[in-house]
Amino acid sequence: MSNKWAIALYVLPALLLVLGLIYIPIVMTGYYGLTEWNGIGAQKWIGFANYSTLLQDGIFWKSALHSLLLAVFSCVSLLLYLIVALILSGQIKGANVLRKIYLIPMLLSSVAIAQLWLKIFHPTNGVLNSVLVSLGIDNPPAWLADTSLVLYAIFIPILWQYAGFYILIYYAALKNIPSSLVEAARIDGASAWQIAFRIKLPLIMEVIKVTIVLAFVGSLKYFDLIYVMTDGGPNNSSEVIASYMYHQAFKSFDFGYGSAVGFFLLVVCLVATWLIRRATASKDSIQYS
Amino acid sequence: MNKKAIAPILLATGLSLVAAGCGNSNSNGNASPSSSPADSPSASASSSASAAPSDKKVTINMMHLWPEGSSAQQNKIVNQIIKEYQNEHPNVTIKQEVLENEQYKSKMKVLSASNKLPDVGMTWAAGYLQPFVEGNLFAPLDDLLQGELKDKFVSGTTEAYAVDGKTYALPLEFNITPVYYNKKIFEKYNLQVPTTYAQFQDVVKTLAKNGVAPIALGNKDRWTGSLWYMYLADRIAGSQTLSDAINGKASFKDAGLVQAAKEVQTLVDENAFNKGFNGLSNDEGKSEFMNGKAAMYMMGTWELPNFTTNQDVPQDFRDSVGFFKFPTVDGGKGNIDSWVGGPGVGLFVAENSPVKEEAKSFVEYFVKRWGEQSVTDAGVIPATKVDTASVQLPQLYIDLLNEMNKATNITLFADVQMKASAAEIHLNQIQALFGKAVTPEQFAEEHDKAIKAGQ
Amino acid sequence: MSVAQTAPRAAAAEPGKGAGRKIGYGLLYIALAAVAVLQILPLVWLLFFSLKNNQEVFDSPPLSLPTHWRWENYEKVWTQGNIGVYFFNSVWLTVVSTALTVLIASLVTFAVTRMKWKASKLVLGLFMVGLMIPVHSALIPLFSVFQNLHLIDRPPSLILTYVAFNMPITIMIMLGFYTSLPREVEEAAVIDGCSVHRIFFRIVFPMTASVISTTAIINMIYNWNEFIFVNTFINSDKLKTLTVGVQNFVGQYTTDWGAIGATLMVSILPILIAFFVLSNRIVEGLAAGSVKG
Repeated sequence: MSNKWAIALYVLPALLLVLGLIYIPIVMTGYYGLTEWNGIGAQKWIGFANYSTLLQDGIFWKSALHSLLLAVFSCVSLLLYLIVALILSGQIKGANVLRKIYLIPMLLSSVAIAQLWLKIFHPTNGVLNSVLVSLGIDNPPAWLADTSLVLYAIFIPILWQYAGFYILIYYAALKNIPSSLVEAARIDGASAWQIAFRIKLPLIMEVIKVTIVLAFVGSLKYFDLIYVMTDGGPNNSSEVIASYMYHQAFKSFDFGYGSAVGFFLLVVCLVATWLIRRATASKDSIQYS
Repeated sequence: MNKKAIAPILLATGLSLVAAGCGNSNSNGNASPSSSPADSPSASASSSASAAPSDKKVTINMMHLWPEGSSAQQNKIVNQIIKEYQNEHPNVTIKQEVLENEQYKSKMKVLSASNKLPDVGMTWAAGYLQPFVEGNLFAPLDDLLQGELKDKFVSGTTEAYAVDGKTYALPLEFNITPVYYNKKIFEKYNLQVPTTYAQFQDVVKTLAKNGVAPIALGNKDRWTGSLWYMYLADRIAGSQTLSDAINGKASFKDAGLVQAAKEVQTLVDENAFNKGFNGLSNDEGKSEFMNGKAAMYMMGTWELPNFTTNQDVPQDFRDSVGFFKFPTVDGGKGNIDSWVGGPGVGLFVAENSPVKEEAKSFVEYFVKRWGEQSVTDAGVIPATKVDTASVQLPQLYIDLLNEMNKATNITLFADVQMKASAAEIHLNQIQALFGKAVTPEQFAEEHDKAIKAGQ
Repeated sequence: MSVAQTAPRAAAAEPGKGAGRKIGYGLLYIALAAVAVLQILPLVWLLFFSLKNNQEVFDSPPLSLPTHWRWENYEKVWTQGNIGVYFFNSVWLTVVSTALTVLIASLVTFAVTRMKWKASKLVLGLFMVGLMIPVHSALIPLFSVFQNLHLIDRPPSLILTYVAFNMPITIMIMLGFYTSLPREVEEAAVIDGCSVHRIFFRIVFPMTASVISTTAIINMIYNWNEFIFVNTFINSDKLKTLTVGVQNFVGQYTTDWGAIGATLMVSILPILIAFFVLSNRIVEGLAAGSVKG
């Protein structure tokens, strides 16, 4: 049948693009990771030496832990976004306007978001500390300078930055549910909770699974705000894998080691994705009856 | 791999700057600016006409980091020089690419990995430049130093761009680092400009007691804190010990150097720096000084426009800014006329440029013209000699230019001096030291390890 | 359609379940409104920010009014640099890349989820791996790829990169939607003897309007704000995009924050409008499909 040709026609353009522009860099990163290279001139093959350094690199493991924490926080926060999307997609007056307003922050570039939150976290005249002082707290913390707080402080803008993204996806998925199904349930006397948990959530399960993968992997390789707001500091206490990789490759001129970190990150992401897909796999996907 | 090569170069940098004295700049300086505006266009036109008679069309690609928006004056001078040059050399077209500092550095990495550097571009000294030289990407420019530019540079500046005795870039900027202070705040608390560290300590304590942040610091950028350590190290252990340690010839465990690290932490304990400094960028830290909330701010002379000519800063504030030299420490080996500073960006020519000769003569022209204009038009102190007598400058500039001439030693910024990987560790350790996450001894230990690893 | 219209009426028909319910709704609305205000504040902040100078940006509280409204920041943005050219480049690069990504990703997702073939899982896996590469690892290899293709300093390098790098995430999002699409319509079409292409373009594509709008919004935002690839692959000023406008005000030692604010403000407006237009389409997803079905 013509099906084979159709499949080829539909899949090949994308596949070629991805193979050429993503897989070539992946392979080359893998190769650089096995060399000693300052980014100039020839690479020197050193086998797995970068990886054995990596295993003993305390700062690397520290940043890996931070990335993992971010991934966990991101996945947990999905629940909140889902609730917001459920509310917005329900029978709420003005939902259409509210939804648009809620998504505005996601339009801001990282540069703008970073500036905004730097002003919020500023130790002396920041919004947050001004509020705390007016509440009678004498010596509020210097959020981004405090090694024990900085990581959690910076998680807030990161999660906030992506809230719109996930709410948007959930909202679209929920709106995609045929209203006849919801209507039928309502007529049968189902409560709003029942409709949400028994009908809506199961129907968008596939979308939820996808967002878990996206949130997890996206967090593992997260870079932007960390780089602009704290640059991984102070003392690496907000360093994540991607910022560490960048520091090694572009700041310390250790491109070989940086690539090893990058490649390791890729492998971690792969494993995480596989685990998530396995954990969330269902025997048969839900279909409309 | 190049163990032997690095140490002498860095040493040369340090030492030549030690010897610089910059004392002879006046005698030479008198001649250059006065004569050059008159003869430069005609002279260079005729010389280049005879040297390069070919009218072959060439395009020189130039990459720099002075965008029109943030660096209007620099950008204007660059464009003006290019225009003049193109007028004099109708066969030459110069194409500019402008990137902001950070992006510029990233792009340099990518371009150098692919051996696709622009014909002319900007580089930093010593540690930054070295891998490019080792990778054969920069062309030696020594012949330019023998030509029209001979004796035009402040001594010790071009040496920072030399590797194995060859110079690979010509500097455009030269800066030293004073401590700026707010005269009004000092007056209010009846404080005198300190000349000894003990007096400085008193100033800090008085200010802190009165709820004024003594020192503005944004140490997220880390090199900002490095300046403080460098000065303390210089004043306590002496310039020689400091540069030996940086070059791997001595240990950071030297008693004086460890003492310097301790003093940094003492300052932190005394609340000498504004709150949350480790989480603030230099811009944010600086604003504490600019807003009159902090009394002192240590920064390079590149800040001078903000204290003199910048109309966006209230006149009132600009008038109240003074500077002092980092005070001497009792029993320390340092001298008050020893500075932390050095040349900033310099121009390189790519070794594999198809228009290398044309690029070189453009660089020669550029550096000369830049030196004539940069300080008066953009407030950038060039690495070529400036005759303070013949140019109209705000007093703060004149005073600091005179200080440069009196300097007994100029120690290059640590993060510029060190190789990139060691510099990163140094900067991280600085932040840790200020944040009291390491002890002075650990700080010294990590430095020794980093310097050793880089050799 | 008729079903959708009855929905609000049904909700309104059962209002009187007691005061508790009313209070609950009241609280919910208050909370929703409060969050909405919080989400608008960043825009207000950005507006004020764009009208201040460095002194004020750092000194005054973020949400304070500028003491002097510095419209000259906007003047700076419009007069310095080729903002018009950047703007034009941003618009067309974003539109073309987004359209290509969404179309190609739709084709792939359709082929993977709606057609039966052995390697479909494997191919899907190949795309998913694309999610995982950190951008900075890709810069140097990509530069040499484009150099070999002679695409450095040419717009296709950006379009290809944007499409390739956004492809995995776009496919992933579509995947979730496609798997929950009812199959009856297609099955009916197959029985009627429709060709694959016809089924895709006439039936499935319109039915997925909601996910297409969603992914288009996401792609649009990514492409609009992207600057690392622009800086790396593009040298000529006339080919750069609006994000360069921001960098124009970042200096070697000092940065003009007010002008950056103005650039950010100017560059957010088009995307805000595009977002409002596209986001209205989200609701029209299944409805469109079911009308045709």
